[in-house]
Amino acid sequence: MTLVGSDGPAPPALAPAPVASVVDLRVHFRSKAGIVHAVDGVSFDIADGETLGLVGETGCGKSVTARSFLRLVPMPPGIQAGGSILFRPHRTCETCSGNGCAVCHESGRVPDACATCEGAGCETCAGSGYLTVDLLEIPEQDLRTIRGNRIAMIFQDPGKALNPALSIRDQLAEVFYQHRSAELLAAAAIDGEAGGPAGTLIRRKAALRSRLLEDALLSLPPLRARRNKLRAAADDRIVAALAETQIPNPRKVMDRYPHELSGGMRQRVMIAQALACDPDLLIADEPTTALDVTVQARILELVRELQSRHRTSVLYISHDLSLVRRVCDRVAVMYAGRIAEVAPAEQIFSDPSHPYTRGLLAAIPATSHERGRLVAISGTVPELINPTPACRFAGRCPFEAPVCRALEPEPKPTRDGHQVACFIHHPPRDAADGVPTFDRQVR
Amino acid sequence: MTAAGDTARPPRGSRDEVVLAVRDLGKYFPIREGALQKVVGHIKAVDGVSFDIAPGQTVGLVGESGCGKTTLGRCVAGLSEPTNGGVYFGLETATKERLDSLLSVTERTASQESELEQLDNRHRVDRMNGDAWRRYRRNCQVVFQESFASLNPRQLVKDIVGRPLRVHREASGSQLTERVVELLAQVGLGRQHLYRFPHQFSGGQRQRISIARALALDPELVILDEPTSALDVSVQAQILNLLHELQQERHLAYLFITHDLSVVRHMADRIVVMYVGRVAEAGPTEVIFDRPQHPYTEALLASSPDVDAHTVDLQALEGAIPDPALPPQGCRFHTRCAVATPTCGWEVDDVVRWLEDVEGTFDTLRGVTRMSPFDAWLSFEDEAAAASLAATLRSEAIPQAMRTALEELTVDARRVRVRFTPVDEVQLTVRGSEHVAACVLDRA
Ligand SMILES: Nc1ncnc2c1ncn2[C@@H]1O[C@H](COP(=O)(O)OP(=O)(O)OP(=O)(O)O)[C@@H](O)[C@H]1O
Ligand SMILES: Nc1ncnc2c1ncn2[C@@H]1O[C@H](COP(=O)(O)OP(=O)(O)O)[C@@H](O)[C@H]1O
Ligand code: SF4
Ligand code: SF4
Ligand SMILES: [Mg+2]
Ligand SMILES: [Mg+2]
Ligand SMILES: [Zn+2]
Ligand SMILES: [Zn+2]
Repeated sequence: MTLVGSDGPAPPALAPAPVASVVDLRVHFRSKAGIVHAVDGVSFDIADGETLGLVGETGCGKSVTARSFLRLVPMPPGIQAGGSILFRPHRTCETCSGNGCAVCHESGRVPDACATCEGAGCETCAGSGYLTVDLLEIPEQDLRTIRGNRIAMIFQDPGKALNPALSIRDQLAEVFYQHRSAELLAAAAIDGEAGGPAGTLIRRKAALRSRLLEDALLSLPPLRARRNKLRAAADDRIVAALAETQIPNPRKVMDRYPHELSGGMRQRVMIAQALACDPDLLIADEPTTALDVTVQARILELVRELQSRHRTSVLYISHDLSLVRRVCDRVAVMYAGRIAEVAPAEQIFSDPSHPYTRGLLAAIPATSHERGRLVAISGTVPELINPTPACRFAGRCPFEAPVCRALEPEPKPTRDGHQVACFIHHPPRDAADGVPTFDRQVR
Repeated sequence: MTAAGDTARPPRGSRDEVVLAVRDLGKYFPIREGALQKVVGHIKAVDGVSFDIAPGQTVGLVGESGCGKTTLGRCVAGLSEPTNGGVYFGLETATKERLDSLLSVTERTASQESELEQLDNRHRVDRMNGDAWRRYRRNCQVVFQESFASLNPRQLVKDIVGRPLRVHREASGSQLTERVVELLAQVGLGRQHLYRFPHQFSGGQRQRISIARALALDPELVILDEPTSALDVSVQAQILNLLHELQQERHLAYLFITHDLSVVRHMADRIVVMYVGRVAEAGPTEVIFDRPQHPYTEALLASSPDVDAHTVDLQALEGAIPDPALPPQGCRFHTRCAVATPTCGWEVDDVVRWLEDVEGTFDTLRGVTRMSPFDAWLSFEDEAAAASLAATLRSEAIPQAMRTALEELTVDARRVRVRFTPVDEVQLTVRGSEHVAACVLDRA
């Protein structure tokens, strides 16, 4: 399967399809006490070009959800218990060369057409007509071409994600050699030229498949010139990628090692690495949690700016609601392995509809709160071991009613673009005796 | 709860007392290099900091990472010995005033010296005699951010919380257990938690255990170093409520260290803003938030997300935090300040920093011969590089304020002389009642 720049049929003029759809994702963990239902039926879409925020308390399953996109959850102890993550790889829109036009719905990118139905819409593409892959199903080899290329991820702790033994140049070079080797060879003007063993060696080097012995051969005179050209081509791209994150003097930074950089700089290197191949989807898992507010503000601004320039879709994970408000178009609130509420960012703050969302907002110290009067959510996050079908927030929810312990609420629309999983908004028809309302507070 | 078993102590919370007075505090860490580990310089983690904490008061300490908050907290707690100045504990207002007048004298007489020495022996934490030291150790406790690191993983909760009581011979046997249960109850835990290990608790619960331990000896002052930074908002809310409740009951004073401005705004009566080891601004919480006088405070406020805010815009503060081993001259914030003036401390290092940030130019610099921090010869690889630097220093690429401060710019073949107007370190000046700021601008 080729995912990049395939010459398939022209994209059909269909409605824009989400770049990714998580459908009923279930990831469990085996533990001594039983099966931990860490992610238990999570569904959401990430629209093309949008920034979706995913918020919730520690342990609610944000990182497991994020890591599932690239199959980075260790199995075992993890268990893929169901669901799918549909992903639609895009390419630059030919009509407008990425500037945005009517064909690409102003996004500058177009998805490839579905190979099965050629755009008519069938089961493989979930009716969208676009090339659609299930990230949980495709072979490991196909996933590798997507990882770092079409989907990139940045983590909370840049120190751990960067290899301490490699210079910044080598960290970034890896990405280009891995996903852009043809482009590098072309730039170094050694693509068509060399046949024979020399050409093979260079190509293996460019694709990062050369071995130690081959590297030694490449450093000898007949091949060295070509290798150096290749390096220069990679260097140019590395410098450009670093410069985009506003790192001062990228040519100098390139030769440093991760431990020689500040936390903010390391996070920039990670972002440069993530955006190097211009991915369709960037997953940022608490990228600023370890940083100062001042550095955090700069990183947020950077993500926002690069997002609008590259029109990348972003899944932005954080436990900090006030922060998510600054960068996201829509916000999904997660609680104990399930989605509690999804809404446009402003609505989450102006009209929080799930009791948990309301609790989270009330707990943030604000000027309106008297000291000592913060509204803490009582109780603690429930054990996720073999949960019974019930609302996960029951036991901590101030509005709980009997039905909340008997049935599990599903996310359903309350109004345009706003979904809530709570019986206050969607009372079940046959539970007249115990339907919760915001008027009746039980704790 | 009353302070069981402790009657010797004077009644707390009298208006006449400051719990703590920090005076011109400095803490320098040596930088060592080479095989002989020769000291080649000092990291001035804390450099000339002064403030007071009154009984029952919460003083918030804020600033960017590495500005010296934890180092200051450790000095106040007596865990680290100051290089300069001192931390004074248990002064009455009159004594404090006497101390300040003694400290302000540059050439002290013999009698003044001996008076100061007596004060030091009784009140200065690193000079205290035995009794005063014991009293201080009981009365000043610390709660750290990383409750995991500060709680012994092999000890039971009963031993962790009971340890200070045992060490100070306050209780033993079943009486000790009862005291521990009482303390746990105060932080929302119970008897059922006595025989558990730290790892069997959540982050919020571990922080409660740390707080219970800190309260065991009924202190007057608790230093809280980022007590909720590792916690979720909902748990943070519980801990902040708890801290407030305990403060009301026991008339505790807090030194609350945090980088979270919404937390400090909620908790603190007064705020001290630190920047690269020094106090940039200090004042009552509302004043700091509503009418900040220091551009750094403003920048900090503007970069902090706030749920109350109606705008979604964050203003990012550009530039890197300066190296505390080589703090900038004049005002330490001048390298990042958007409203810097010609008298803010422009110096040779600003030229060097600028060369470092611009692609390719730093490599052409061969050496710097300094006559002073404000005056130096820079030598370059060739004449063209020297000429190009000189041209740039005259151009718009350089802030107007810096150009104005540049008194001399001479090109001599491959060398360039830059000389700026020398200025002194910018000092704190009074901006209002209990409000000081260290900035040359007066924007009242
Ligand atoms: N033991 C030490 N030896 C050398 N340098 C130190 C030592 N402890 C701290 N420093 C330096 O002193 C400065 C202040 O550090 P400190 O830990 O007080 O910062 P902080 O304000 O608490 O930062 P953060 O918000 O990251 O906790 C930093 O530059 C730090 O690297
Ligand atoms: N490798 C693992 N082994 C066992 N349990 C795990 C593993 N990774 C995550 N979990 C569990 O899954 C749940 C969700 O974790 P995570 O997604 O990391 O939460 P967060 O929302 O804080 O990112 C937690 O209960 C956690 O303990
Ligand atoms: S009202 Fe019921 S369904 Fe809604 S959040 Fe509370 S417990 Fe869950
Ligand atoms: S003294 Fe004031 S104006 Fe000058 S650099 Fe410092 S903060 Fe800015
Ligand atoms: Mg996580
Ligand atoms: Mg610290
Ligand atoms: Zn287009
Ligand atoms: Zn199809």
